[in-house]
Amino acid sequence: MTGSGSRSRSGSRSRLWRLAPLTLVVVAGAVGGILASEPAGRLDPERSWCAPSAARLLGCGEAGVDLLPLVSTAVLRGVVLAAVVALVGFAIGTPLGAAAALARGRFERGVERACDLMQAFPSFILALAVLSAVRAPSRVHIGAVFALTAWAPFARLALAQTRVLRDAAFVEAAVALGRGRAGVLRSHIVPNLLGVVAVQLGSTAAAIVVSEAALAFVGLGPRDGVSLGGVLDQGVAAMLRAPHVLVVGALSVALTSAAMLVAGRAAER
Amino acid sequence: MSPGAGRGGRTARVLVARAVEALAVVVALASLVFFALRILPGDPARLVLGDGASAAELARVRASLHLDEPLGAQYLRFLRGLATMDLGDSFRRPGTSAMSRVAEAVWPTAQLALIAVGIGAVVGIAAAIAASGPWLPVRARVWIERGLVAVAAAPLVAFAPVLTWALAARARIVPLPGDPDAGPAGLLFAGALLSLPLAAHVGRIARAALVDVGRAQFLAVASAKGARPVRVWVLHALPAVVGPIVTVVASQLSALLGGAVVLERMFERWGLGTLILEAYSTRDLPVLEGAVVAAGLLFVIAQALGTALHAAVDPRARGST
Repeated sequence: MTGSGSRSRSGSRSRLWRLAPLTLVVVAGAVGGILASEPAGRLDPERSWCAPSAARLLGCGEAGVDLLPLVSTAVLRGVVLAAVVALVGFAIGTPLGAAAALARGRFERGVERACDLMQAFPSFILALAVLSAVRAPSRVHIGAVFALTAWAPFARLALAQTRVLRDAAFVEAAVALGRGRAGVLRSHIVPNLLGVVAVQLGSTAAAIVVSEAALAFVGLGPRDGVSLGGVLDQGVAAMLRAPHVLVVGALSVALTSAAMLVAGRAAER
Repeated sequence: MSPGAGRGGRTARVLVARAVEALAVVVALASLVFFALRILPGDPARLVLGDGASAAELARVRASLHLDEPLGAQYLRFLRGLATMDLGDSFRRPGTSAMSRVAEAVWPTAQLALIAVGIGAVVGIAAAIAASGPWLPVRARVWIERGLVAVAAAPLVAFAPVLTWALAARARIVPLPGDPDAGPAGLLFAGALLSLPLAAHVGRIARAALVDVGRAQFLAVASAKGARPVRVWVLHALPAVVGPIVTVVASQLSALLGGAVVLERMFERWGLGTLILEAYSTRDLPVLEGAVVAAGLLFVIAQALGTALHAAVDPRARGST
């Protein structure tokens, strides 16, 4: 008993440690924003492409933009966007997948095929095409486009897990006692599949961080210009003159998405 | 009716059903883009021409896009165009059909994707055999596995520019793919960059499948009959794990196409990605719709080729196709 209790405590501690990289990234973003002496995106052509120094810790980019406030703000906004879209996908996909598996038949097959469709198609190309419907995309537009496909992995996982749960003895007992489908879903199915489905939150959020950077890299970033993809784009344009811009942009994208991936594993049991 | 004829009939029915599903996928995606461009707030004609356009110019674009018709009639016209592969003329190049512009751009992207799939499959399978075969010490095999996990998690948009800077701009080991004189070597380097995440995914899945198959009796029999380890792993074990490899390649195709857009933009290389970005910036709606249809068709054809390849190599897959 004591052994299993201490194992459970150490398991909880190790799960909490998985949130450490994301916490570090967020704290670094917040501290970077505080340390910066100016708002993100302020231009000063005289210091264009300046190398990192005590005054400009990460150096400067195109038109003298200070990279520290730009990257700090872009990381924080990227993390918020990814978390919100992943949670929206989670909130839509989980009940949908669970309800489809409980309903069985055509509804189940239909949801499964819709998941195949959404997961299989190049969502990046779809995002490009749909974003062309607005003049200058904002973060809300970008988030909405990602949410179009973000629900699918959650629905698929919930569907697979509910297929196992729907034949469990406690679910059959609840049905036999007269609980309706909605009640069974709310009280017995969803609480039991949350742990499995929550792991997907990290993968989805990491994919959104990368996709947002990729969209901004190809020129479809948010209209305020504050995006890690924008920093990467500047870095590619000046890779010979100012390689520090490329390194800062690439490291920021890689570390933020890796932190999201690791944080998602905190939900693992 | 013979059992063979019955199985053939079942396979034909399943193939027809798959083809119908695949077409439904393409129509659904094209419809999503069609409705997004017409239902979302904002006038598509104003998007195309900008705020300074005159009423006459706006009316001309509305007429050419049939925006003055009811939405249902527009959609029917769009579906008819989809069936005949005629989505109207490109706005940017009047007199040139949107689909012909898309057709020009498909091959360079398909070429890049094919090279990436080829390199990714070969490198991934080689890494999987090295990580599961008897040649290397356990520690080296563990490091290969860790390397595969790290590369699979690394975003292409972050590492492709850094590798290009390190290998092409600094060390000058490879040519810059955007350089007009780079030739096939540049294309090969771009394909290799695109293939890295795919190679890592193939390596991870193939390694897991090979470890599983490695315990099978038919491999022990082949070894007992005197076959060398290379023969046992390449000729006997590998065909048994083609299914998972084809599945992972098919599941990564969407990421591959997205990656191709990023690399085409980075190296300023002509292709479907560059065309989509150009059509986006000029709001060339027929070309945008055509490009999404082409990407969908490319994707569906690649999936079908994957299924056929799996069935050709693995007899167990023939009954289930």
